[in-house]
Amino acid sequence: MTTARVATDAPTIRVGDRRHAAFLGSIGLAALALIGWQIASGLVFVIPAPLATVRTLLANLTTGSYLVDAQVTFQNSLVAFLLGAVIGGAAGLVLGLSRWARIVFEPLLIALNGLPKIVLYPVLLPIFHLSGAKVVMGLLFALFPILINVAIGVRELPPVYRKLARSVNASGWQTLVHIILPAIRRPLLTGVRLSVSLAVVGVVLSEFFATRRGLGRVVLQAYSSGDYGNMMATILLLVSVSFVLSLLLWRWERRMR
Amino acid sequence: MTVRQPEVAPPAAPPAGPAPGPPRRRVWGDGRLSALATAALLVALGVIWEIGSAAALWSSEILPAPSALFPALRALAGDPRFWADAGRTGVEVLGSIGFGGVAGLVIGVAFWKAPLVGRIFEPYLVSFYAVPLVLFYPVMIVVVGLGTPSVIILASVMAAIPMALNTWVGLAGIPPVYLKLSRSIGCTRWQQLSRVALPSAAPFVLAGLRLAVVYALIGCIAMEFTTAQAGLGYRIRYLYDSFETTPMYAYILVVLTVSIILTVLLAVLERVVMAGRSRS
Repeated sequence: MTTARVATDAPTIRVGDRRHAAFLGSIGLAALALIGWQIASGLVFVIPAPLATVRTLLANLTTGSYLVDAQVTFQNSLVAFLLGAVIGGAAGLVLGLSRWARIVFEPLLIALNGLPKIVLYPVLLPIFHLSGAKVVMGLLFALFPILINVAIGVRELPPVYRKLARSVNASGWQTLVHIILPAIRRPLLTGVRLSVSLAVVGVVLSEFFATRRGLGRVVLQAYSSGDYGNMMATILLLVSVSFVLSLLLWRWERRMR
Repeated sequence: MTVRQPEVAPPAAPPAGPAPGPPRRRVWGDGRLSALATAALLVALGVIWEIGSAAALWSSEILPAPSALFPALRALAGDPRFWADAGRTGVEVLGSIGFGGVAGLVIGVAFWKAPLVGRIFEPYLVSFYAVPLVLFYPVMIVVVGLGTPSVIILASVMAAIPMALNTWVGLAGIPPVYLKLSRSIGCTRWQQLSRVALPSAAPFVLAGLRLAVVYALIGCIAMEFTTAQAGLGYRIRYLYDSFETTPMYAYILVVLTVSIILTVLLAVLERVVMAGRSRS
């Protein structure tokens, strides 16, 4: 909590008009990584080269059964994220507004946040079955960043905001939509950004474990059958999707004041 | 020169969760209430779980009663295989915390000294914020081989990222006058870093360390869970696959307890250090 506040107030890292230099540098870094990958694939023959991987990925993306797997994974991630956002947002709101809720639930929530949640997957499986358990796992992964960020954001609202809401006789809903949400938009967006990629990770990790369809299963099957080209291509797809999503959200977040 | 806020802060801080931060009033009153409430919640949960099991609301094959888990836990304590698993996971977690923590600290200082380099790396650090890195595990196994090293390498990277981002933000937030003072009294660069800069950034560095520990643990267990030959995470999966539900729950309970103890210890450490700071 304090960490977040202190940080945003903190003085600045001055780079100024070297912003473009940083942007170019980031692209250069990606290029370097790509060259490194190419060289590594030459040295260790089990690693497919970048170009070959992209080719495999493109070929995969025209295969019907692969598309089904991709659709299953991304749909489940989306549902997990949405549920996580709604539940996490509501819980965060309660936790931020009510001192009692904070006293009673905060320690448990901190502890839960630090858990390796994936070990609960075998517990979830019999309850939610193969199709539901991975959504619940993704939800558990996605829940906490939003919950914590909303709770901190709401708690640190200047009291005058809520006084204003009362003085204009705003209803609870109006206060939420017109005052609280705009005021916490930055921490909320940070939570959303983290949750999106965590939902994907939660779903894919569950698919590593047990599932009928999904990209996680594709990765592990490719690994165990030694089809490293397919494995790399699928990991590349998963990583780039979550990378691009979180990068876009991050840039949006930076622009938001 | 436009002046910009360090955007690293939000990604670094939030997963830190409600950080037991600097001076809070009513700490003891609320703290005690919190502890009581948490204990009550846990007891209530245990009671519901026990009653539900006794009333056979669910089969003991799926969720054994807590009273059935205690003998299983006791059996674990005398089981050499358990200690081998715990030892391996312990080595992995400690190794990742050590490597990741030191690397993160050094990288954070380097980014502070050379902000442009930091800016170049920032988008990647922010996007691969710790957990998504687990997706690279199959690649690591192929390249490095199945075993402790590949887990430690990846978990170290996961631990290093929050450490680096937090250290960077903390150092960038030092009031410039501290650094000016240290220069004016002729500190060497090393003295400036070790006596002025790092102590002044300590709250952030500690928050980073706490995250590093959490991510190292999460990473190691998750990777073992995916594929490994030993370790607590691996054993849970193994027991699941062989339908040994009760020992599996005992293992899960152990993992949960260890991670809760770690979280609490770190929170206490942070609080003690912060209390020491505000007093001095």
